[in-house]
Amino acid sequence: MVFRPSSVFCILPPYMLERIAERGSDAQRSRATQTIQLTSQMRAEREAAGRVAAAPTAGPLVKQRVVYTADFTSTLPGRVVRQEGGAPTGDPASDEAYDGAGATYDLYWDVYQRSSVDGNGLRLDSTVHYQRGYDNAFWNGQQMVYGDGDEDLPPDQRLFNRFTIAIDVIGHELTHGVTQYTGNLNYSYQSGALNESFSDVFGSLVKQRGLGQTATDADWIIGQGLFTANVNGVGIRSMKAPGTAYDDPVLGKDPQPAHMKDYVNTINDNGGVHINSGIPNHAFYLTAYEVGGYAWEKAGRIWIVTLRDKIRASSNFQNAADLTYATAGELYGVNSLEQQAVSKGWAGVGITVGQATPDQNGCLPGLLKLLGIR
Amino acid sequence: MKIHLERTGGFTGIPLTGTLDTDQLSPEDSQSLRELVESSGFFSLEAKIPSSGGGADRFTYLLTIEAGERSHTVEIGETGVPGALQALIQRVTLLVRQRRIAPEP
Repeated sequence: MVFRPSSVFCILPPYMLERIAERGSDAQRSRATQTIQLTSQMRAEREAAGRVAAAPTAGPLVKQRVVYTADFTSTLPGRVVRQEGGAPTGDPASDEAYDGAGATYDLYWDVYQRSSVDGNGLRLDSTVHYQRGYDNAFWNGQQMVYGDGDEDLPPDQRLFNRFTIAIDVIGHELTHGVTQYTGNLNYSYQSGALNESFSDVFGSLVKQRGLGQTATDADWIIGQGLFTANVNGVGIRSMKAPGTAYDDPVLGKDPQPAHMKDYVNTINDNGGVHINSGIPNHAFYLTAYEVGGYAWEKAGRIWIVTLRDKIRASSNFQNAADLTYATAGELYGVNSLEQQAVSKGWAGVGITVGQATPDQNGCLPGLLKLLGIR
Repeated sequence: MKIHLERTGGFTGIPLTGTLDTDQLSPEDSQSLRELVESSGFFSLEAKIPSSGGGADRFTYLLTIEAGERSHTVEIGETGVPGALQALIQRVTLLVRQRRIAPEP
């Protein structure tokens, strides 16, 4: 039985844990100490997220975008180049950042009735032209940031194009903000890979909705267009066939697993968060394929409601499977086709929904487990 | 002097790895690296400097420098890079990126 600190988090006040940490057996003490550390970390993270929510950029429930340029430095947010309603700048990176943030806002608002990353109209800030030769895009806790790839190298040495070139990258980064304000998944190991997967899922849905593609029509490639012609690859990740996006003499082969049997144990990349995300990514693809039609309508709704209402900072793949299954039952009915599709989706990656029963995850069993009674 | 860089993480998750040997670099590159290593106080840095703050898709740098008898390895989260080290990391990253694709013979 895997010990889940979060299962006792719900009922044990900190002083009780502290008492166990002082007076319990060795095993009880170490578990209680772990739980205290984890819960205080979670509390600090929640408080940090709360501070961001209270920032003056929260406003009316309308789309508010600002695009800045770092002018190839590390300064954030940089100089404003385009604001909500402003005319295109003619600079591709700036206009892609603006349009992509808009399309992502529209998916969350039009389809899921969620206004912006915090659900409260938080202004969407994006900075382009970050540093020189910066092969990356990121969310820094407050805004999206995009590099220009290998713009500083001669064309025959370039491997990456600008990171705004793929709209799903923009949806991916903005969704890290959504996750921060909802499930707030810890960014390491399985919870971190889930954090990454939610970003890929909604990044891909932004793209599919823009193209009007059904689950069957879509290519489910993440980051198509990021590689230059010097790279042998169609994109960074494939949700449909994880592990097949690229195979290149310089960059190596796409390392993503599509099944739990191939789960990659590594300490790099926060415990392989960009590698093992292939597993939940593929579970989403299989679910959406099984449901059919537009993936953002039902499969996407099951995933976003789960992220918003059920996912916790320490949730792992099994928890995500169980929680999406429960959400599907609530939204579409117990044993509905949609709920069966979720079950099939996770089964396809080697995870059986309901393996962790509610009883095992409840508060009292959690306390008993902590004390080593069962 | 040998400098080994391993950059992990980031949106792509694709590592950037390479070793620079100042004996194999141009005199200008070699000289500028030596100066940056000196001014960054690299050999006095803590072995592990984590990232500060939240966010996602950030890089982690694992940098090892061997100079004569001295050898030191530092693991640094992108947001934890001290100001004095920023220029060295950017310089090393550029030199490694320039060597990803071998020039045509």
